[in-house]
Amino acid sequence: MSVMSRSENARSLGLWDRDHEGHDVIGTRTFGFWLYMLTDAMVYAALFATFGVLSHVVNLAGGPSPAAVVHPVYAYGETVALFVSVLAYGGAMVALKAGNKAALIGALGAAMVAGGVFLGLAYSDIERLFHAGIVPQASGYLSIFFGLILYHALHILVGMVWMLVMIVQVMTRGFTSNVVYRLINLRLFWHFQAVIWVFVFTFVYLQGTVL
Amino acid sequence: MGRLSLRQIPYQNPILVGTFVFALILGAAIVGLVTYHKRWGVLWREWLTTVDHKKIGVMYCLIGLVMLFRGFIDALMIRTQQAIAVGPHSPGYLGALHGYLTPFHAGQIFTAHGLIMVVFAATPLLVGLMNIIVPLQIGARDMAYPYLNALGLWLTAAGAALVMVSLFIGNFAHGGWYGFVPYFELPYSPGVGVDYWLWAFQLSVLGTTLGSINLIATIVKMRAPGMTWMRMPIFTWASLSANLIALTTFPVLMVCLALLASDRYFGTHFYTAGMGGNLMLYNDLFWVWGHPEVYFLILPAFGMMSEIVPTFSEKTLFGYATMVIASFAIGGVSWGVWLHHFFTMAAAPSVNSFYSVTTMLVGIPTGVKVFNWIFTMYRGRVRFELPMMWAVLSLFLLLVGGLTGMMNAFATNDYMWHNGVFVVAHFHLMVLLIAASIFGSVEYWFPKVFGFKLEARWGKAFFWCIVLGTGWVFIPMFLLGFAGMTRRLDYIPYTQWGPYLRVMLVGMGFYILAVAFFFMHLYVSLRDRAKNRVGADAWGTSRSLEWMTHSPVPAYNFAFVPQVHARDEWAWRKEQGVADLKSGPYRDIHMPGNTGVPFVLGALALALAFALTWRIWWLSGLALALCVAVVIVRAFAEDTDTVISAQDVERAERRYHDGEVVPMEEPMGRPTPRPAT
Amino acid sequence: MSASHHDPLSHPEVQLASGRGYVANFLVTTLLMGFGLWLSVTHAVAPLTLVAVTSGIAAVAVGVQAYLLLHMNLSEAQIWHTVAMILFLPLFVVTIGLTAWMFHGLYARTMIMSPHIGAFLHR
Ligand code: HEM
Ligand SMILES: [Cu+2]
Repeated sequence: MSVMSRSENARSLGLWDRDHEGHDVIGTRTFGFWLYMLTDAMVYAALFATFGVLSHVVNLAGGPSPAAVVHPVYAYGETVALFVSVLAYGGAMVALKAGNKAALIGALGAAMVAGGVFLGLAYSDIERLFHAGIVPQASGYLSIFFGLILYHALHILVGMVWMLVMIVQVMTRGFTSNVVYRLINLRLFWHFQAVIWVFVFTFVYLQGTVL
Repeated sequence: MGRLSLRQIPYQNPILVGTFVFALILGAAIVGLVTYHKRWGVLWREWLTTVDHKKIGVMYCLIGLVMLFRGFIDALMIRTQQAIAVGPHSPGYLGALHGYLTPFHAGQIFTAHGLIMVVFAATPLLVGLMNIIVPLQIGARDMAYPYLNALGLWLTAAGAALVMVSLFIGNFAHGGWYGFVPYFELPYSPGVGVDYWLWAFQLSVLGTTLGSINLIATIVKMRAPGMTWMRMPIFTWASLSANLIALTTFPVLMVCLALLASDRYFGTHFYTAGMGGNLMLYNDLFWVWGHPEVYFLILPAFGMMSEIVPTFSEKTLFGYATMVIASFAIGGVSWGVWLHHFFTMAAAPSVNSFYSVTTMLVGIPTGVKVFNWIFTMYRGRVRFELPMMWAVLSLFLLLVGGLTGMMNAFATNDYMWHNGVFVVAHFHLMVLLIAASIFGSVEYWFPKVFGFKLEARWGKAFFWCIVLGTGWVFIPMFLLGFAGMTRRLDYIPYTQWGPYLRVMLVGMGFYILAVAFFFMHLYVSLRDRAKNRVGADAWGTSRSLEWMTHSPVPAYNFAFVPQVHARDEWAWRKEQGVADLKSGPYRDIHMPGNTGVPFVLGALALALAFALTWRIWWLSGLALALCVAVVIVRAFAEDTDTVISAQDVERAERRYHDGEVVPMEEPMGRPTPRPAT
Repeated sequence: MSASHHDPLSHPEVQLASGRGYVANFLVTTLLMGFGLWLSVTHAVAPLTLVAVTSGIAAVAVGVQAYLLLHMNLSEAQIWHTVAMILFLPLFVVTIGLTAWMFHGLYARTMIMSPHIGAFLHR
């Protein structure tokens, strides 16, 4: 059999996918990033398990009780700031869908500002506690209390840096598939922080008032 | 320089000085050879900066083998110490009261041994093999995130390097591989040992988590057309289930270790004995990871057995679907058994009973697998070539290790022998099973990666020495376990245990022989490689996709992405008589371009971990800042793909066709700027 | 891994953005959290009820967020995201639940405490 007819043969049998397109880059990237976010959720699960274990009265080590530490009204302010930021990022996604660069950058900026408000509120709350001598080193309960909220705040900080990077990339690159998948990943990241915050707000702050 | 000073170099310890000299000579020899052959450029361009999943896999395996050797030396030292230091009249050497290791030194050795074998030997070997084989088995040209893959490798390498560094600068943790609190807290272990352990562990956690994301996404998103879920080769299934375990549990270990680090560095009270800490919390979090981890290790090994047994029984695998279900059942149940590592904690009886039962449940899917392998062999044309010998050994070890695991699973039994050597013997058989499967699959897939088979004579000698060594070491260990011997002893108070310990030392003699034969095996195979050249289908009776492409595998894996028609596609093509049909003409192939960034990040991570260990704050800050900067800069780098042109592909295919061996590090393709979008 | 030939903006994961959904999510979750806040600052209900109700509220809020923000659904673009999350959900429950269960028993059996002080695990 000649080489040519053999390959004709292979083609008719459908042995090879000659026109292999490569895979969907954006879809693959966001899937991997979502898996990463889920591992981060597992980190939070472990932290919440720790929180549960260290919320017994013996874990206060004679220090302040949760009710004396948490300030739910204040935390509600943080909640609203974060939700606004998340909403603004949603706006950025709508702008992306419309291909509107200016609106996208504006929305990202708004999301950053609201994120900054969240961080500012969190900072002054922690400041207040530190001044009252309520520090992570004071008891097992306080260790995990601060551990949880600081880990969450760290995410907000990282998200804001990332937003800054994306603003620059959108301005210099436009909507290439690399920029687009990163914007979607950042959406997953940012919106996920709101989900985690619901748990933090509920279990640490709201329920903290009756511990 | 933080706590670091010249006094931290343990030059007064002759064993370590000897090791250092050995390492120096070895290092000098390697540097000399690379320089002599002018290979630095190749090393950098084709290996250190590669994103090719096969090369990354090979490097993972190399790390694993080096660390396996290191862990073996540790084991040898432990066994020797325990054979000498028996009874009050036993002699002492090198400054030790009994034996030749001081308690502090002995403690470091068993800690390092455990950590190394689990995280830096078994894990890299398995991850390496999955890296090489899975993309080939699903007909993909590369992995979902080649760059991330390289990053995972270099983080793992950094972790392994950190453990090695601890040999010569400072010391290592000395309380057991899985750590103890409050013993590992700062007041009780103020030295750097625990910090070395902590950061080395943490680096491997990062590396493995990234690796698992990559593997899962690759399997979910990159399968060749026609490869439906139920056509996926069984090793790929096993890898998927194993990596799901890694993905879900490693974060918990990260938290577990991070909280300990927080206690040590910031003075928090997560695990402290007073001030509202909870020491059992450490055990809880650790084993939430720890038990699933053992299944993360064993599932790929099961997958390897499931590939080898059908090939050498010349039959399709018995009970494919049940095999898949069993893998996932094992993965699922493994998530609910962790308390069996601390039955003695004083949890409520209902809790202990629950964990007893779930632990025993694991036996059901495992049993299904055992029967499937046996039925695959039943009435097959079984050929006992080397891979098959290892697979059968694995089967035996699984039986003994699994049954003794069942014995541990009774909380009532476990109360008697927890932290004794019975448990040690149990899990060593399990881990040896994993090692045996690894050796089997190295024999099995070596020709795929390098284009020639390993020779059989020394390989068989190696195999039988492992079998003998395992018997001589672990049967007495089980007996000592029944006699009540606890683990991690540097001095044996009861002289009546002496004979058993000396018998175990004989077993170590077999293991030493095995190591020697292993090196001979490699050497002779390399020397005679021309004799052992193979084509695509090295064993003649293989069934899955990886055997369809050339050996060694070209950079692009498949000149054309295969269209999949059957579960055992390669076997199907052979049966249909279309095995050698190719499809022309060739097309350009886009591949990810090499990058040095992962290597740099690995090096920075090593610097960071080292600086944290020694509390050199300026260096920690610098390394961390550089990491962040590199990541951000990389985000701006103009992505460069590589294109392997159709002519290059054709030329390469022709060379393979003519039976030429195309070396793995031969450069292919040239970078092209990404087309503007 | 060639760059997609298609316009990246036409990718389904770009197209699933929904301004209305995001606004709805914002309103619902902010109100739900506000309701929880009201319950806890006014001490309108018994502690145990507060814990139960706020947990319920959190569950609803997270459900809304999962659907409207994270777009967890069974469409072709999102199905694997959803599957991955569903895989993780029971594991979160196992990690936290079994841990709480074992330490609940442990504390009851090993800690000396006053019967008057309720604590998280002991209500
Ligand atoms: C899959 C392979 C397995 C591996 C790699 C493995 C590994 C281990 C390890 C490392 C330990 C010791 C932890 C320590 O004290 O350092 C251990 C203990 C234990 N294993 Fe396994 N195991 C495996 C399978 C099983 C099976 C199938 C069972 C039972 C069905 C089992 C039951 C146990 C129990 C109950 C303990 C706790 C004993 C104690 O600490 O006192 N294991 N195993
Ligand atoms: Cu276990």
